[in-house]
Amino acid sequence: MDLTGGFGARSGGVGGGPYREPIGLESLHLGDEFRQLATTTSLTPDNAGGSFTALLELPPTQAVELLHFTDSLSSSQAAAAATTGIGGGDIIIAPPPPPLHSFGGTTLTFPSNSALMERAARFSVIATEQQQNNGNYHNNETPTSSVPSNSSDRVKTEPPETDSAMENQSLCPNQTNRSGKRKDFDKKVKSSTKKNKSSEETEKLPYVHVRARRGQATDSHSLAERARREKINARMKLLQELVPGCDKIQGTALVLDEIINHVQSLQRQVEMLSMRLAAVNPRVDFNLDTILASENASLMDGSFSGTAMQLAWPHQALETEQSFHQRQLQPPPPPPQQWPFDGLNQPVWGREEDQAHGNDHSNLMAVSENVMVGSANLHPNQVKMEL
Amino acid sequence: MSTYNMVKQEFIKKWITTLHMLDCSVEHPLNVTERKNAIKLSSDIAMAAARSGSTVWSRALISRSGNKTANKPVARRILKKARNRLKNRCLTLRRNGNFTAKSGVRKRTELLKSLVPGGELIKNKDYLIRETLDYIVYLRAQVDVMRTVAAVDSVTGNLTNDNK
Repeated sequence: MDLTGGFGARSGGVGGGPYREPIGLESLHLGDEFRQLATTTSLTPDNAGGSFTALLELPPTQAVELLHFTDSLSSSQAAAAATTGIGGGDIIIAPPPPPLHSFGGTTLTFPSNSALMERAARFSVIATEQQQNNGNYHNNETPTSSVPSNSSDRVKTEPPETDSAMENQSLCPNQTNRSGKRKDFDKKVKSSTKKNKSSEETEKLPYVHVRARRGQATDSHSLAERARREKINARMKLLQELVPGCDKIQGTALVLDEIINHVQSLQRQVEMLSMRLAAVNPRVDFNLDTILASENASLMDGSFSGTAMQLAWPHQALETEQSFHQRQLQPPPPPPQQWPFDGLNQPVWGREEDQAHGNDHSNLMAVSENVMVGSANLHPNQVKMEL
Repeated sequence: MSTYNMVKQEFIKKWITTLHMLDCSVEHPLNVTERKNAIKLSSDIAMAAARSGSTVWSRALISRSGNKTANKPVARRILKKARNRLKNRCLTLRRNGNFTAKSGVRKRTELLKSLVPGGELIKNKDYLIRETLDYIVYLRAQVDVMRTVAAVDSVTGNLTNDNK
Protein backbone atom coordinates (compact mmCIF):
# COMPACT_ATOMS: atom_id res chain seq x y z
CA MET A 1 0.00 0.00 0.00
CA ASP A 2 2.38 2.56 1.19
CA LEU A 3 5.26 1.42 -0.85
CA THR A 4 3.30 1.26 -4.01
CA GLY A 5 1.75 4.63 -3.50
CA GLY A 6 5.02 6.14 -2.57
CA PHE A 7 6.67 4.69 -5.58
CA GLY A 8 4.08 6.07 -7.88
CA ALA A 9 4.05 9.43 -6.24
CA ARG A 10 7.71 9.94 -6.05
CA SER A 11 8.57 8.88 -9.49
CA GLY A 12 5.63 10.83 -10.69
CA GLY A 13 7.59 13.96 -10.76
CA VAL A 14 9.76 12.81 -13.55
CA GLY A 15 8.45 12.45 -17.04
CA GLY A 16 9.60 9.83 -19.39
CA GLY A 17 11.13 12.10 -21.93
CA PRO A 18 13.22 14.39 -19.81
CA TYR A 19 14.47 11.54 -17.77
CA ARG A 20 15.83 9.64 -20.62
CA GLU A 21 17.98 12.48 -21.69
CA PRO A 22 20.54 12.10 -18.95
CA ILE A 23 21.03 8.53 -19.92
CA GLY A 24 21.74 9.48 -23.48
CA LEU A 25 24.01 12.24 -22.39
CA GLU A 26 25.78 10.02 -19.99
CA SER A 27 29.25 9.13 -21.01
CA LEU A 28 28.32 5.69 -22.15
CA HIS A 29 30.08 4.35 -25.12
CA LEU A 30 29.11 1.93 -27.72
CA GLY A 31 30.81 -0.06 -30.39
CA ASP A 32 30.21 0.25 -34.07
CA GLU A 33 28.28 -2.92 -34.29
CA PHE A 34 25.75 -1.77 -31.75
CA ARG A 35 25.19 1.40 -33.62
CA GLN A 36 24.64 -0.53 -36.79
CA LEU A 37 22.27 -2.77 -35.00
CA ALA A 38 20.28 0.09 -33.71
CA THR A 39 19.94 1.55 -37.14
CA THR A 40 19.30 -1.63 -39.05
CA THR A 41 16.15 -2.27 -37.07
CA SER A 42 15.87 -5.81 -38.10
CA LEU A 43 13.47 -6.65 -35.36
CA THR A 44 11.80 -3.43 -34.44
CA PRO A 45 9.73 -2.29 -37.34
CA ASP A 46 8.73 0.91 -35.69
CA ASN A 47 12.22 1.90 -34.97
CA ALA A 48 13.24 3.98 -37.89
CA GLY A 49 16.55 5.10 -36.64
CA GLY A 50 16.25 4.44 -33.02
CA SER A 51 14.14 7.27 -31.80
CA PHE A 52 12.91 6.55 -28.39
CA THR A 53 9.39 7.66 -28.94
CA ALA A 54 9.11 5.21 -31.78
CA LEU A 55 10.39 2.54 -29.51
CA LEU A 56 7.95 3.40 -26.85
CA GLU A 57 5.01 3.15 -29.12
CA LEU A 58 5.52 -0.50 -29.56
CA PRO A 59 2.72 -2.11 -27.63
CA PRO A 60 3.76 -4.33 -24.80
CA THR A 61 2.62 -7.49 -26.50
CA GLN A 62 5.00 -6.90 -29.33
CA ALA A 63 7.75 -6.46 -26.86
CA VAL A 64 6.94 -9.82 -25.39
CA GLU A 65 6.99 -11.35 -28.82
CA LEU A 66 10.28 -9.78 -29.49
CA LEU A 67 11.57 -11.28 -26.32
CA HIS A 68 10.40 -14.68 -27.42
CA PHE A 69 11.99 -14.22 -30.76
CA THR A 70 15.30 -13.19 -29.44
CA ASP A 71 15.33 -15.95 -26.94
CA SER A 72 14.83 -18.53 -29.60
CA LEU A 73 17.37 -16.83 -31.78
CA SER A 74 20.11 -16.58 -29.28
CA SER A 75 19.56 -20.03 -27.97
CA SER A 76 19.98 -21.49 -31.41
CA GLN A 77 23.03 -19.51 -32.29
CA ALA A 78 26.35 -21.22 -32.00
CA ALA A 79 29.65 -19.50 -31.64
CA ALA A 80 30.27 -15.93 -32.44
CA ALA A 81 30.40 -14.22 -35.63
CA ALA A 82 33.33 -11.96 -35.71
CA THR A 83 32.71 -8.80 -33.94
CA THR A 84 35.85 -7.26 -34.61
CA GLY A 85 36.18 -4.35 -36.25
CA ILE A 86 36.85 -1.37 -34.32
CA GLY A 87 39.52 0.30 -36.27
CA GLY A 88 42.82 1.74 -35.31
CA GLY A 89 43.26 3.54 -32.10
CA ASP A 90 41.74 0.80 -30.11
CA ILE A 91 43.31 -0.41 -27.04
CA ILE A 92 42.22 -3.78 -25.95
CA ILE A 93 41.91 -4.16 -22.27
CA ALA A 94 41.10 -7.31 -20.43
CA PRO A 95 38.35 -6.75 -17.93
CA PRO A 96 38.72 -7.92 -14.40
CA PRO A 97 37.65 -11.51 -13.83
CA PRO A 98 34.02 -11.51 -12.92
CA PRO A 99 33.49 -12.84 -9.43
CA LEU A 100 29.90 -13.71 -10.18
CA HIS A 101 30.87 -16.34 -12.60
CA SER A 102 33.36 -17.91 -10.28
CA PHE A 103 30.50 -19.03 -8.14
CA GLY A 104 29.62 -21.66 -10.63
CA GLY A 105 26.83 -19.89 -12.35
CA THR A 106 25.03 -21.67 -15.08
CA THR A 107 26.70 -21.91 -18.40
CA LEU A 108 23.63 -22.79 -20.32
CA THR A 109 22.59 -20.38 -22.93
CA PHE A 110 18.93 -20.92 -22.35
CA PRO A 111 18.56 -20.01 -18.71
CA SER A 112 20.91 -17.14 -18.87
CA ASN A 113 18.83 -15.64 -21.59
CA SER A 114 15.74 -16.14 -19.59
CA ALA A 115 17.34 -14.58 -16.57
CA LEU A 116 18.40 -11.79 -18.82
CA MET A 117 14.97 -11.28 -20.25
CA GLU A 118 13.52 -11.64 -16.86
CA ARG A 119 15.61 -8.80 -15.66
CA ALA A 120 14.82 -6.57 -18.53
CA ALA A 121 11.17 -7.46 -18.56
CA ARG A 122 11.04 -7.22 -14.86
CA PHE A 123 11.52 -3.52 -14.99
CA SER A 124 8.88 -3.26 -17.59
CA VAL A 125 6.59 -5.39 -15.49
CA ILE A 126 6.97 -3.23 -12.47
CA ALA A 127 6.39 -0.28 -14.65
CA THR A 128 3.45 -1.84 -16.43
CA GLU A 129 1.78 -2.57 -13.18
CA GLN A 130 2.23 1.00 -12.19
CA GLN A 131 0.67 1.99 -15.43
CA GLN A 132 -2.24 -0.29 -14.97
CA ASN A 133 -2.75 1.11 -11.57
CA ASN A 134 -2.98 4.51 -13.07
CA GLY A 135 -5.00 3.27 -15.97
CA ASN A 136 -2.74 4.85 -18.48
CA TYR A 137 -0.82 3.11 -21.18
CA HIS A 138 1.11 5.93 -22.63
CA ASN A 139 4.60 5.61 -21.46
CA ASN A 140 5.47 9.15 -22.22
CA GLU A 141 2.71 10.78 -20.32
CA THR A 142 2.21 8.74 -17.23
CA PRO A 143 3.35 10.21 -14.01
CA THR A 144 5.13 7.03 -13.21
CA SER A 145 6.79 6.98 -16.52
CA SER A 146 10.34 7.22 -15.42
CA VAL A 147 10.51 3.53 -14.88
CA PRO A 148 8.26 2.38 -17.67
CA SER A 149 9.86 4.48 -20.34
CA ASN A 150 13.29 3.28 -19.57
CA SER A 151 12.20 -0.25 -19.12
CA SER A 152 10.34 -0.39 -22.36
CA ASP A 153 13.29 1.18 -24.03
CA ARG A 154 15.33 -1.52 -22.60
CA VAL A 155 12.91 -4.17 -23.59
CA LYS A 156 12.63 -3.02 -27.14
CA THR A 157 16.24 -2.40 -27.72
CA GLU A 158 17.04 -5.82 -26.47
CA PRO A 159 16.16 -7.66 -29.65
CA PRO A 160 18.41 -5.85 -32.10
CA GLU A 161 21.39 -6.08 -29.91
CA THR A 162 20.79 -9.51 -28.71
CA ASP A 163 21.45 -11.00 -32.08
CA SER A 164 24.96 -10.01 -32.71
CA ALA A 165 25.87 -9.27 -29.15
CA MET A 166 24.84 -12.71 -28.11
CA GLU A 167 26.94 -14.07 -30.85
CA ASN A 168 29.87 -12.61 -29.07
CA GLN A 169 28.76 -13.92 -25.80
CA SER A 170 28.10 -17.43 -26.83
CA LEU A 171 31.81 -17.81 -27.23
CA CYS A 172 32.29 -16.94 -23.70
CA PRO A 173 31.09 -19.08 -20.86
CA ASN A 174 30.26 -16.10 -18.74
CA GLN A 175 26.73 -15.91 -19.85
CA THR A 176 25.14 -15.27 -16.54
CA ASN A 177 27.63 -12.58 -16.03
CA ARG A 178 26.41 -10.88 -19.13
CA SER A 179 22.85 -10.83 -18.05
CA GLY A 180 23.36 -7.82 -15.91
CA LYS A 181 25.41 -6.06 -18.50
CA ARG A 182 22.55 -6.22 -20.90
CA LYS A 183 21.14 -3.19 -19.31
CA ASP A 184 24.27 -1.38 -20.20
CA PHE A 185 23.93 -2.39 -23.78
CA ASP A 186 20.46 -1.04 -24.00
CA LYS A 187 21.61 2.28 -22.80
CA LYS A 188 24.50 2.20 -25.12
CA VAL A 189 22.19 1.68 -28.01
CA LYS A 190 20.20 4.62 -26.89
CA SER A 191 23.17 6.82 -26.45
CA SER A 192 24.63 5.91 -29.79
CA THR A 193 21.46 6.58 -31.62
CA LYS A 194 21.11 9.86 -29.90
CA LYS A 195 24.56 11.15 -30.42
CA ASN A 196 27.59 10.41 -32.42
CA LYS A 197 30.37 10.17 -30.01
CA SER A 198 33.94 10.24 -30.93
CA SER A 199 34.74 7.68 -28.36
CA GLU A 200 33.12 4.36 -27.88
CA GLU A 201 33.33 1.54 -25.58
CA THR A 202 32.28 -1.98 -26.19
CA GLU A 203 32.02 -4.75 -23.78
CA LYS A 204 33.05 -7.94 -25.26
CA LEU A 205 34.28 -10.62 -23.04
CA PRO A 206 37.01 -11.24 -22.42
CA TYR A 207 38.21 -7.98 -23.93
CA VAL A 208 36.95 -4.49 -23.62
CA HIS A 209 37.47 -2.26 -26.59
CA VAL A 210 37.78 1.31 -25.59
CA ARG A 211 38.47 4.16 -27.88
CA ALA A 212 40.10 7.17 -26.42
CA ARG A 213 38.22 10.36 -26.30
CA ARG A 214 39.64 13.59 -27.55
CA GLY A 215 41.91 15.28 -25.10
CA GLN A 216 42.09 12.34 -22.76
CA ALA A 217 44.89 10.12 -21.86
CA THR A 218 45.29 7.01 -23.86
CA ASP A 219 47.06 5.24 -21.15
CA SER A 220 45.80 1.73 -20.85
CA HIS A 221 45.33 2.05 -17.15
CA SER A 222 43.33 5.20 -17.36
CA LEU A 223 41.22 3.72 -20.11
CA ALA A 224 40.49 0.68 -18.05
CA GLU A 225 39.66 2.85 -15.15
CA ARG A 226 37.40 4.96 -17.25
CA ALA A 227 35.65 1.92 -18.67
CA ARG A 228 35.06 0.60 -15.22
CA ARG A 229 33.77 3.90 -13.97
CA GLU A 230 31.37 4.15 -16.81
CA LYS A 231 30.03 0.70 -16.18
CA ILE A 232 29.49 1.60 -12.60
CA ASN A 233 27.75 4.78 -13.58
CA ALA A 234 25.47 2.87 -15.87
CA ARG A 235 24.48 0.54 -13.10
CA MET A 236 23.92 3.47 -10.80
CA LYS A 237 21.54 4.88 -13.32
CA LEU A 238 19.61 1.66 -13.35
CA LEU A 239 19.46 1.63 -9.62
CA GLN A 240 18.22 5.14 -9.69
CA GLU A 241 15.34 4.06 -11.80
CA LEU A 242 14.53 1.19 -9.57
CA VAL A 243 14.66 3.02 -6.32
CA PRO A 244 11.97 5.64 -6.20
CA GLY A 245 12.95 9.22 -5.84
CA CYS A 246 16.50 8.79 -6.92
CA ASP A 247 16.27 10.58 -10.18
CA LYS A 248 16.93 14.06 -9.02
CA ILE A 249 19.89 13.26 -6.91
CA GLN A 250 23.30 14.08 -8.18
CA GLY A 251 26.29 12.24 -6.99
CA THR A 252 27.03 8.67 -6.32
CA ALA A 253 27.09 8.96 -2.56
CA LEU A 254 23.58 10.30 -2.26
CA VAL A 255 22.24 7.77 -4.70
CA LEU A 256 23.84 5.07 -2.66
CA ASP A 257 22.20 6.59 0.38
CA GLU A 258 18.82 6.30 -1.23
CA ILE A 259 19.46 2.76 -2.27
CA ILE A 260 20.56 1.81 1.19
CA ASN A 261 17.47 3.41 2.64
CA HIS A 262 15.30 1.55 0.19
CA VAL A 263 16.84 -1.80 0.95
CA GLN A 264 16.61 -1.16 4.66
CA SER A 265 13.01 -0.10 4.42
CA LEU A 266 12.13 -3.17 2.40
CA GLN A 267 13.82 -5.41 4.91
CA ARG A 268 12.05 -3.70 7.76
CA GLN A 269 8.76 -4.13 5.95
CA VAL A 270 9.43 -7.82 5.64
CA GLU A 271 10.01 -7.96 9.36
CA MET A 272 6.83 -6.13 10.18
CA LEU A 273 4.74 -8.10 7.74
CA SER A 274 6.03 -11.39 9.02
CA MET A 275 5.26 -10.29 12.56
CA ARG A 276 1.80 -9.34 11.44
CA LEU A 277 1.26 -12.67 9.76
CA ALA A 278 2.52 -14.46 12.82
CA ALA A 279 0.14 -12.54 15.02
CA VAL A 280 -2.85 -13.27 12.84
CA ASN A 281 -2.30 -16.96 12.33
CA PRO A 282 -1.99 -19.41 15.19
CA ARG A 283 0.02 -21.73 13.00
CA VAL A 284 2.98 -21.20 10.78
CA ASP A 285 1.44 -22.51 7.63
CA PHE A 286 -1.67 -20.53 7.24
CA ASN A 287 -4.38 -21.17 4.79
CA LEU A 288 -2.45 -21.55 1.64
CA ASP A 289 -5.23 -22.41 -0.70
CA THR A 290 -6.88 -19.17 0.13
CA ILE A 291 -3.71 -17.27 -0.32
CA LEU A 292 -2.94 -18.96 -3.57
CA ALA A 293 -6.34 -18.28 -4.96
CA SER A 294 -6.38 -14.72 -3.80
CA GLU A 295 -2.90 -14.17 -5.11
CA ASN A 296 -3.93 -15.63 -8.43
CA ALA A 297 -6.82 -13.29 -8.52
CA SER A 298 -4.70 -10.33 -7.67
CA LEU A 299 -2.11 -11.26 -10.19
CA MET A 300 -4.74 -11.70 -12.82
CA ASP A 301 -5.89 -8.21 -12.31
CA GLY A 302 -2.37 -7.05 -12.41
CA SER A 303 -2.70 -4.85 -9.40
CA PHE A 304 -1.43 -5.66 -6.02
CA SER A 305 -2.77 -2.63 -4.28
CA GLY A 306 -6.39 -3.33 -4.84
CA THR A 307 -6.71 -6.12 -2.38
CA ALA A 308 -10.12 -5.01 -1.35
CA MET A 309 -11.49 -6.35 -4.58
CA GLN A 310 -9.91 -9.69 -4.21
CA LEU A 311 -10.93 -10.12 -0.65
CA ALA A 312 -14.27 -11.19 -1.89
CA TRP A 313 -12.66 -14.02 -3.78
CA PRO A 314 -11.30 -16.10 -0.91
CA HIS A 315 -14.76 -16.92 0.27
CA GLN A 316 -15.53 -18.48 -3.02
CA ALA A 317 -12.04 -19.72 -3.38
CA LEU A 318 -12.56 -22.76 -1.30
CA GLU A 319 -15.24 -24.03 -3.60
CA THR A 320 -14.29 -22.61 -6.93
CA GLU A 321 -10.56 -22.83 -6.84
CA GLN A 322 -10.38 -24.86 -9.96
CA SER A 323 -12.28 -22.29 -11.93
CA PHE A 324 -9.85 -19.63 -10.77
CA HIS A 325 -6.92 -21.57 -11.98
CA GLN A 326 -8.51 -22.10 -15.30
CA ARG A 327 -9.42 -18.49 -15.54
CA GLN A 328 -5.91 -17.55 -14.91
CA LEU A 329 -4.82 -19.45 -17.94
CA GLN A 330 -6.39 -17.01 -20.28
CA PRO A 331 -5.73 -13.42 -19.31
CA PRO A 332 -1.97 -13.44 -18.96
CA PRO A 333 -0.22 -13.49 -22.28
CA PRO A 334 1.36 -16.82 -22.97
CA PRO A 335 4.74 -16.66 -21.36
CA PRO A 336 7.81 -17.56 -23.27
CA GLN A 337 8.78 -21.13 -23.23
CA GLN A 338 11.29 -20.55 -20.56
CA TRP A 339 8.50 -19.91 -18.11
CA PRO A 340 6.10 -22.75 -18.49
CA PHE A 341 4.73 -22.42 -15.05
CA ASP A 342 1.53 -20.53 -15.03
CA GLY A 343 -1.98 -21.54 -14.27
CA LEU A 344 -1.19 -24.99 -15.56
CA ASN A 345 1.08 -25.72 -12.71
CA GLN A 346 -0.93 -23.92 -10.13
CA PRO A 347 -3.76 -26.42 -9.94
CA VAL A 348 -1.27 -29.20 -9.63
CA TRP A 349 0.44 -27.38 -6.86
CA GLY A 350 -2.79 -26.58 -5.12
CA ARG A 351 -3.89 -30.16 -5.10
CA GLU A 352 -0.56 -31.46 -4.08
CA GLU A 353 -0.38 -29.23 -1.06
CA ASP A 354 -2.97 -31.19 0.77
CA GLN A 355 -1.11 -34.41 0.28
CA ALA A 356 2.27 -33.04 0.90
CA HIS A 357 2.55 -33.65 4.57
CA GLY A 358 4.59 -36.75 4.32
CA ASN A 359 6.56 -35.41 1.45
CA ASP A 360 8.04 -32.34 2.95
CA HIS A 361 11.54 -33.56 2.73
CA SER A 362 11.20 -34.54 -0.85
CA ASN A 363 9.61 -31.22 -1.59
CA LEU A 364 12.40 -29.36 -0.01
CA MET A 365 14.91 -31.49 -1.78
CA ALA A 366 13.21 -30.49 -4.95
CA VAL A 367 13.40 -26.88 -3.93
CA SER A 368 17.01 -27.10 -2.98
CA GLU A 369 17.93 -28.99 -6.07
CA ASN A 370 16.15 -26.46 -8.13
CA VAL A 371 18.02 -23.74 -6.42
CA MET A 372 21.37 -25.25 -7.00
CA VAL A 373 20.77 -26.26 -10.53
CA GLY A 374 20.56 -22.62 -11.21
CA SER A 375 18.24 -22.70 -14.10
CA ALA A 376 14.92 -21.18 -13.52
CA ASN A 377 13.36 -22.90 -16.47
CA LEU A 378 13.51 -26.30 -15.03
CA HIS A 379 11.97 -25.37 -11.75
CA PRO A 380 8.36 -25.96 -12.47
CA ASN A 381 9.03 -29.07 -14.48
CA GLN A 382 11.26 -30.54 -11.86
CA VAL A 383 8.98 -29.61 -9.06
CA LYS A 384 6.10 -31.12 -10.89
CA MET A 385 7.92 -34.35 -11.36
CA GLU A 386 9.00 -34.42 -7.79
CA LEU A 387 5.49 -33.96 -6.64
CA MET B 1 5.18 -8.25 -19.29
CA SER B 2 4.05 -10.31 -16.38
CA THR B 3 7.55 -11.22 -15.42
CA TYR B 4 7.15 -9.52 -12.10
CA ASN B 5 3.97 -11.52 -11.60
CA MET B 6 5.91 -14.61 -12.43
CA VAL B 7 8.47 -13.64 -9.87
CA LYS B 8 5.74 -13.32 -7.32
CA GLN B 9 4.15 -16.59 -8.32
CA GLU B 10 7.45 -18.36 -8.07
CA PHE B 11 7.98 -16.84 -4.69
CA ILE B 12 4.55 -17.92 -3.53
CA LYS B 13 5.09 -21.50 -4.56
CA LYS B 14 8.41 -21.71 -2.87
CA TRP B 15 7.05 -20.04 0.19
CA ILE B 16 4.26 -22.54 0.51
CA THR B 17 6.79 -25.31 0.35
CA THR B 18 9.06 -23.84 2.94
CA LEU B 19 6.20 -23.04 5.25
CA HIS B 20 5.02 -26.60 5.11
CA MET B 21 8.51 -27.80 5.73
CA LEU B 22 9.11 -25.61 8.71
CA ASP B 23 5.75 -26.23 10.20
CA CYS B 24 6.03 -29.97 10.06
CA SER B 25 9.54 -30.12 11.36
CA VAL B 26 9.08 -27.87 14.35
CA GLU B 27 6.95 -28.48 17.39
CA HIS B 28 4.28 -25.89 17.25
CA PRO B 29 5.78 -22.80 18.74
CA LEU B 30 3.21 -20.82 20.55
CA ASN B 31 5.33 -17.79 20.85
CA VAL B 32 4.57 -14.99 18.45
CA THR B 33 8.23 -14.21 18.08
CA GLU B 34 9.05 -17.76 17.14
CA ARG B 35 6.27 -17.80 14.61
CA LYS B 36 7.50 -14.55 13.19
CA ASN B 37 10.98 -15.92 12.88
CA ALA B 38 9.73 -19.02 11.20
CA ILE B 39 7.67 -17.04 8.75
CA LYS B 40 10.50 -14.70 7.98
CA LEU B 41 12.95 -17.52 7.60
CA SER B 42 10.71 -19.43 5.28
CA SER B 43 10.03 -16.39 3.18
CA ASP B 44 13.73 -15.60 2.95
CA ILE B 45 14.51 -19.10 1.82
CA ALA B 46 11.65 -18.92 -0.62
CA MET B 47 12.85 -15.63 -2.00
CA ALA B 48 16.35 -16.93 -2.47
CA ALA B 49 15.07 -20.14 -3.98
CA ALA B 50 12.89 -18.22 -6.38
CA ARG B 51 15.95 -16.40 -7.60
CA SER B 52 17.61 -19.73 -8.13
CA GLY B 53 21.23 -19.83 -7.92
CA SER B 54 23.01 -17.54 -10.25
CA THR B 55 23.22 -14.61 -7.91
CA VAL B 56 25.48 -14.24 -4.95
CA TRP B 57 22.84 -12.91 -2.66
CA SER B 58 20.50 -15.83 -3.14
CA ARG B 59 23.11 -18.39 -2.21
CA ALA B 60 24.35 -16.30 0.66
CA LEU B 61 20.83 -15.92 1.95
CA ILE B 62 20.22 -19.63 1.80
CA SER B 63 23.39 -20.45 3.65
CA ARG B 64 22.68 -17.79 6.22
CA SER B 65 19.16 -19.12 6.70
CA GLY B 66 20.53 -22.60 7.00
CA ASN B 67 22.49 -21.45 10.00
CA LYS B 68 19.37 -20.43 11.77
CA THR B 69 17.74 -23.81 11.33
CA ALA B 70 20.77 -25.86 12.06
CA ASN B 71 18.80 -28.65 13.59
CA LYS B 72 16.75 -29.33 10.56
CA PRO B 73 18.18 -31.93 8.26
CA VAL B 74 16.50 -30.45 5.25
CA ALA B 75 17.98 -27.06 5.83
CA ARG B 76 21.32 -28.67 6.28
CA ARG B 77 21.02 -30.21 2.88
CA ILE B 78 20.47 -26.82 1.33
CA LEU B 79 23.31 -25.46 3.35
CA LYS B 80 25.63 -28.12 2.13
CA LYS B 81 24.96 -27.29 -1.46
CA ALA B 82 25.33 -23.61 -0.83
CA ARG B 83 28.53 -24.30 0.98
CA ASN B 84 30.01 -26.02 -1.98
CA ARG B 85 29.47 -22.96 -4.06
CA LEU B 86 30.53 -20.33 -1.62
CA LYS B 87 33.31 -22.21 0.09
CA ASN B 88 32.27 -21.43 3.61
CA ARG B 89 32.75 -17.75 3.17
CA CYS B 90 29.16 -16.94 3.79
CA LEU B 91 29.24 -18.64 7.14
CA THR B 92 31.65 -16.11 8.43
CA LEU B 93 30.07 -12.98 7.13
CA ARG B 94 30.90 -10.01 9.17
CA ARG B 95 28.44 -7.26 9.52
CA ASN B 96 29.40 -3.64 9.38
CA GLY B 97 31.63 -2.13 11.96
CA ASN B 98 34.85 -3.74 11.00
CA PHE B 99 35.67 -1.59 8.05
CA THR B 100 37.11 1.88 8.16
CA ALA B 101 35.89 3.72 5.13
CA LYS B 102 37.72 6.74 3.93
CA SER B 103 35.31 8.64 1.78
CA GLY B 104 31.55 8.93 1.78
CA VAL B 105 31.07 6.72 -1.22
CA ARG B 106 33.27 4.04 0.18
CA LYS B 107 31.51 4.15 3.51
CA ARG B 108 28.18 3.79 1.86
CA THR B 109 29.43 0.99 -0.30
CA GLU B 110 30.46 -0.86 2.80
CA LEU B 111 27.08 -0.28 4.31
CA LEU B 112 25.38 -1.57 1.19
CA LYS B 113 27.59 -4.60 1.29
CA SER B 114 26.42 -5.33 4.78
CA LEU B 115 22.80 -5.01 3.76
CA VAL B 116 22.83 -7.20 0.73
CA PRO B 117 23.40 -10.83 1.69
CA GLY B 118 26.72 -11.94 0.39
CA GLY B 119 27.73 -8.41 -0.39
CA GLU B 120 30.99 -8.56 1.45
CA LEU B 121 32.19 -11.22 -0.89
CA ILE B 122 31.88 -9.02 -3.90
CA LYS B 123 35.03 -7.10 -4.62
CA ASN B 124 33.92 -5.20 -7.64
CA LYS B 125 31.55 -2.31 -7.02
CA ASP B 126 30.09 -2.96 -10.43
CA TYR B 127 28.82 -6.38 -9.50
CA LEU B 128 27.71 -5.23 -6.12
CA ILE B 129 25.33 -2.80 -7.72
CA ARG B 130 24.02 -5.44 -10.03
CA GLU B 131 23.40 -7.75 -7.11
CA THR B 132 21.66 -4.96 -5.28
CA LEU B 133 19.40 -4.38 -8.23
CA ASP B 134 18.36 -7.98 -8.33
CA TYR B 135 17.98 -8.18 -4.60
CA ILE B 136 15.74 -5.15 -4.53
CA VAL B 137 13.42 -6.64 -7.10
CA TYR B 138 13.01 -9.84 -5.17
CA LEU B 139 12.69 -8.05 -1.89
CA ARG B 140 9.90 -6.01 -3.31
CA ALA B 141 8.17 -9.11 -4.61
CA GLN B 142 8.43 -10.63 -1.16
CA VAL B 143 6.99 -7.53 0.45
CA ASP B 144 4.13 -7.38 -2.03
CA VAL B 145 3.16 -10.97 -1.53
CA MET B 146 3.35 -10.74 2.22
CA ARG B 147 1.33 -7.59 2.22
CA THR B 148 -1.39 -9.18 0.11
CA VAL B 149 -1.46 -12.21 2.33
CA ALA B 150 -1.66 -10.07 5.44
CA ALA B 151 -4.48 -8.05 3.98
CA VAL B 152 -6.39 -11.17 3.06
CA ASP B 153 -5.87 -12.64 6.46
CA SER B 154 -6.88 -9.60 8.37
CA VAL B 155 -10.11 -9.12 6.48
CA THR B 156 -11.30 -12.65 6.13
CA GLY B 157 -10.42 -13.54 9.66
CA ASN B 158 -8.52 -16.66 10.24
CA LEU B 159 -9.34 -19.34 7.75
CA THR B 160 -6.76 -21.87 8.71
CA ASN B 161 -7.72 -25.46 8.23
CA ASP B 162 -7.61 -27.07 11.59
CA ASN B 163 -7.30 -30.55 10.25
CA LYS B 164 -3.89 -29.84 8.76
